[in-house]
Amino acid sequence: MTALTDQHQFNLARDSLLAHEPTVGLTRARRRGYQRYRQFMSNVDLALLWKRRWFIVTMIVGFALMSAPTPSGLTHDGQVVLVMTLMATMLFITEAVPLPAVALLIVVGQVLLLGIDSTTVARSLMTDAVLFIMGSLMLAVAVVKQKLDKRIALAIVRVTGTSVFWICFGITAVCGALASFIGEHTVAAMMLPVGVTLISLTSNDPKKIHNLAAVILFSISFGCSIAGVTTPSGGARNAIIISYWKDFFYDPSDPVTYRYLMDYLTWTLYALPMFLLRLPVVTLLLIFTFKPEISNLSRAVSKLRTQVKLEGPMKPSGWLTIIVFAFVIVGWSVFSTGVGLGTVAIAGAVTYLVLGLVRWEDINSGVNWGIVLLYAAAISLGVQMKETGAAEWFAASLMRGLIDAGMTSTIAFDAASSILTILVSNTMTAGAAVAVLSPIILKMAAVSGHDPLIAGFVTAISSAFGYLTPAAQPAFTIIYASGYLKAKDFFKIGSRMTALSFAVLMLVSIFYWPMLAVD
Amino acid sequence: MSVFDFFRRTELSDRQEAAVMKTFSTLRAHRRSRFRILACIDGSEAGDMAVRFAARFAVSNNCDIIILHVRPIDQGLHSGGLQVRLARQNMIDAGFELPGVKYLKHALDVLKEEGIDVSGWQSATAHENAWGDAAGDTKVEYQSADGRTVVLKLKTAPDVAGGILDQYELGPYNLIILGEPSRWRSEFMSFFDAGIVQTVATVAPCSVLVARNSLEKRGFFICTDGSSRSLQAVRRAAVLATVIGEHVTLFSVAPDEIAKPAAEEAVANAKALLKAMKVDVAEAKAVVGNVLEEIVERGSLYKVIVVTDEGRSRIQRLFKGSLATESVRRARTSVLDVR
Repeated sequence: MTALTDQHQFNLARDSLLAHEPTVGLTRARRRGYQRYRQFMSNVDLALLWKRRWFIVTMIVGFALMSAPTPSGLTHDGQVVLVMTLMATMLFITEAVPLPAVALLIVVGQVLLLGIDSTTVARSLMTDAVLFIMGSLMLAVAVVKQKLDKRIALAIVRVTGTSVFWICFGITAVCGALASFIGEHTVAAMMLPVGVTLISLTSNDPKKIHNLAAVILFSISFGCSIAGVTTPSGGARNAIIISYWKDFFYDPSDPVTYRYLMDYLTWTLYALPMFLLRLPVVTLLLIFTFKPEISNLSRAVSKLRTQVKLEGPMKPSGWLTIIVFAFVIVGWSVFSTGVGLGTVAIAGAVTYLVLGLVRWEDINSGVNWGIVLLYAAAISLGVQMKETGAAEWFAASLMRGLIDAGMTSTIAFDAASSILTILVSNTMTAGAAVAVLSPIILKMAAVSGHDPLIAGFVTAISSAFGYLTPAAQPAFTIIYASGYLKAKDFFKIGSRMTALSFAVLMLVSIFYWPMLAVD
Repeated sequence: MSVFDFFRRTELSDRQEAAVMKTFSTLRAHRRSRFRILACIDGSEAGDMAVRFAARFAVSNNCDIIILHVRPIDQGLHSGGLQVRLARQNMIDAGFELPGVKYLKHALDVLKEEGIDVSGWQSATAHENAWGDAAGDTKVEYQSADGRTVVLKLKTAPDVAGGILDQYELGPYNLIILGEPSRWRSEFMSFFDAGIVQTVATVAPCSVLVARNSLEKRGFFICTDGSSRSLQAVRRAAVLATVIGEHVTLFSVAPDEIAKPAAEEAVANAKALLKAMKVDVAEAKAVVGNVLEEIVERGSLYKVIVVTDEGRSRIQRLFKGSLATESVRRARTSVLDVR
């Protein structure tokens, strides 16, 4: 009773725990008002030093290595380029500064540290690969905006029926088929609402159907991810490696080097088995790993059908989008050797804009231009690695290490390149990993007598094996945004998927690619 | 007007400055008159526990509960060049809720179970853009006829701990309540990379309660070392305990027999202080032993252990550690770290 009577004496706000003013530390400072304090504090950020600690470390390490004695066999410019690559890698991994800032630093570094003319550096930034990345991102926005997702989903369930296994298989296959041609992130962004529709129409409580959600959403992302390497237009990494082959090995006066001008269909011939062999296994792996709570989605499917019926028949803009995209795919397959992948992609994007299927404002806000800049600078740095002889020197040094370790066979070389790429691509975006690693691996292959074409494929394909974290893959980041998945889910399925993919890659590189290379 | 006028530094006139200050101080004064509790949730059961504690602490009419879910901003750079907000926009267009909305609605259900039903209250919604995110920040405010407020806030921020601390800046709070995290880092590791709860518990300007499943237990176990800072904390925590109807136990530990008289004196002083305030003390104990272990062991029988924050900076903690933070980490019941 005492407590009750005393209760009236106390005012919680006054007598109990205090709400300290955020300004309390500044009472000594003379000031006319809180606003002025806010203005002052907005200009002072001591925590920034701590936030940028890895940037500072990178700069110190970088400049120390640059001023160190140049190793024998390497030019000073080569040393600078190698150190710049190391610094870029450190910044990619630690994300100490926004990633596009790394791209800008690479540009500034090339001019100031290597003494290259700024116009030459600017010219090296814009290649067909960069145009392609830019164009396909613009196409992506146009396609996503058309909202064809539910229709695609209904088309899938018409074929697969309502069993969870077959629906997931259908989703993986269709996402894969789409992601072979469009960027994998496009398909993930487009199909995510379908996945969430199926999940939310099954149950309102995410906790009750967590495993089902994982299976459906991972079907989307793995479908996109395993197919991203199938064709050159599947992802930025493919365009980057094609661009390196041409820059490093193509010599117009030597017909033997014409094979390094990779065309759309030849790439597909090489990479398609990686998709086809993994496709049937992915769904099984997902079902066994997560064991969904229910096995039949008939309730969700019938609701989905109702929703599509209510939307009415597909609009002309939808059909037009599909037709234009079909033309773009044909253009890539037929004209890419002549006019380049980038020109076709840009032409497609322009067509969408001219036909009014997408607004420039949508493209402007939907495309992350920083990534375009990042790839441009990374490719430009890769070219400098070749020009200064840095790639060759580093590759020769690494090869000596591999020879000392007794890893001279093609299988050992492929396995080592693959594992290196997997490790790096789990720590940074796949495109950046390919841009940084490829010059070294391609040169290693050339130095040691292995086929640079196969080494390039191993690198490009292995860079898609970053399955362990939500940030490792573009498609993963997008499905993670749905909020249904936890980071540990990615590790759980990702570790198995990495092992499976590595095994399939080794099989393909041992048995299939040598047959093609002979031709 | 000469050209130089363009470069002349101008200020608000005193009258305008006074008006700004008046508006500002009125708002602050209003907030100061309320006991504001910020309960942070993440959709887990630990988050539900935070809401339940908020409901049980907000017993009087001058209490406000703010339930906060911070959603990390959609990162675009890992998405291969396509902004994740495109996918997010696609989801919103398709009629899906953001992940946090479900958690906030669930928090309302939890409040209802605890006897705070906002269904009949007046509500207002506010939305503002934040960090260029497709969804931005959204706030729903419920106000009862007797002036109590429950606010649901879905906030977007680059990192969750930063978002919670930013929210503090928007309106000071008397208490931040967080659920227990799945793991804690050591003081050394936390200097480099601390978890959300640990970061907030370490650097929040106000008192922090880390809620564990101790709602069935009774009483506040208030620890003191006899310092003036500690006595202040005892006083304020005892008021809270009294108002919500919990009994108070005072406790002090001496590391050895020599220090025992000092510990006994600390408890006696605290008891005298509370007696002067007419707060009943159910029990007062001074023991000899390992300070941390004694607090954790004996305090585990109570609803809340109250410890006083030493007010050390992160670098000081690195070298000296913090008994308050260690108690928060190791305890098996809820711990209130008073600042």
